[in-house]
Amino acid sequence: MSRFLGPLDSEGRVPPHQQTRVAAFLISAHGALARQFAMALPMRIEAAWQTELNAQFYRESEIVSLLQRTASWVPDMALGYMAASWETAWFPKPIEGITNLPLALPIDLAMLAHAVHAGIRPAALLPLGANANDPFVFALRRIEFESGRLLQAQILFLKGESLVPFRDTVNAALEQRHAEVRRLWAEALESAGVTT
Amino acid sequence: MPFLSHGSYRIRYELDGPAGAPAYVLVNGLTQYSELWAAYREALLARGFRVATFDLLGQGASDKPTLFINQDDQVAALHLLIGELGDGPIFLSGISFGGLIALRYAIEHGDRISGLVPMSCFAELTPQLLLLGNALRTGLILGGTGYLQDLLLPMNLSDQWLKPLLDKLDSVKRQGWLVNDVYALQNLMESFLDFQPLTPRLSAISVPTMILNGEFDFLTPRHLHETLRVEIPNSSLVIIPRAYHAFTLEKGVLTADLLARFADDVLAGRWQGNQAVWIAPEEAGGELTPFPAGYDHLRAIPVRAAPP
Repeated sequence: MSRFLGPLDSEGRVPPHQQTRVAAFLISAHGALARQFAMALPMRIEAAWQTELNAQFYRESEIVSLLQRTASWVPDMALGYMAASWETAWFPKPIEGITNLPLALPIDLAMLAHAVHAGIRPAALLPLGANANDPFVFALRRIEFESGRLLQAQILFLKGESLVPFRDTVNAALEQRHAEVRRLWAEALESAGVTT
Repeated sequence: MPFLSHGSYRIRYELDGPAGAPAYVLVNGLTQYSELWAAYREALLARGFRVATFDLLGQGASDKPTLFINQDDQVAALHLLIGELGDGPIFLSGISFGGLIALRYAIEHGDRISGLVPMSCFAELTPQLLLLGNALRTGLILGGTGYLQDLLLPMNLSDQWLKPLLDKLDSVKRQGWLVNDVYALQNLMESFLDFQPLTPRLSAISVPTMILNGEFDFLTPRHLHETLRVEIPNSSLVIIPRAYHAFTLEKGVLTADLLARFADDVLAGRWQGNQAVWIAPEEAGGELTPFPAGYDHLRAIPVRAAPP
């Protein structure tokens, strides 16, 4: 077990079975976010803040597309049940203490997005010798960088004035979401020989 | 790796040295992590001290609260660590953000420590510091931890330190980039959003206090340290020659020597703060010299001080 992906091949590339596991997990998480942002995005944008939904939807879709096209995919029999557990975890969850559904749904989506964008750092898995010109390596760096920017919308919303009355509730629920996403990410990595 | 528990959060710490020996507790700056004190640990252990370091909430291997980090919680975490040290003499030092946490600790729990060493520190957000902090936060948001490091390295370290590392800066930055997360650093920075100046409370610090300030520190310049010197009764200001904000990284041997000498002087009853201004030696072991009488230590050019 190592804390980094590898061992790298002679050209500094990540082993294909690790690329497959990591890319599958990230596609599942960012794909779920893309779907949920698509559902939240109105046909016609009526408020300035909704432009952010549009941006988030397209960036998440871009990340999925990037991974599909850069990873070296190999057959992976375990992916079926793993993906099922991931997909189940991304479902919207009720938030204890917030019964107003039109408020709870965007909070839940923002919390999932916060947990994915803040808690998953794929570039931090790359060892020193990773080939900066390899498409998969480049994709992981780009995803981590973009996640840091996407995260700002979630931070602004979750820390915003409108949620001050629910601060403790939101804080506790977000800590739980983070723990869940981190656990799934750690399990996926462990199954690929990477310890976190 | 031992941890302390603060509510639901875990604080990673490291404690070395003989129980009962005088202890030094070292508090990280904002983007730092405990391992950066390794040279201090070695030097202070060799001088007979216990050494305790830790990662603040939001840093390194300590838990990283997801939305909010309150500076009160950092002081509480520090209090937990100091609680592990028993009843022997305890000296507390911190750099920059860590210096601020150390100041707050000394204000609230001064009876638990024997001496205080704030380094590259501040008690209030002046317009310059506020705007610099905002710009650094924006840099973090737009460019990530790596960009923040790119800004901080040339601001806080000298040409002499940077020059031989110019083609290896990625490896210099790597560990800090690995262990620190954007959202956690942002939360640490945003813990200043409701910051109240400490200046009116500094006079409550009664323990011997040695304030260390780099000669060329422009992130937290001399006048910020002057506030500490003027307000803390039993203090001295020591200017580190040719040093910038992060002199603890650049001049570790000299700084560790100054820390040890300060504690030795306090324990031997030799320390006299007198709100004096000193110039540190260039090398460890050298003599401190008083700032030349009649000149203004707040100026970079030799300007005669106004008569009292």
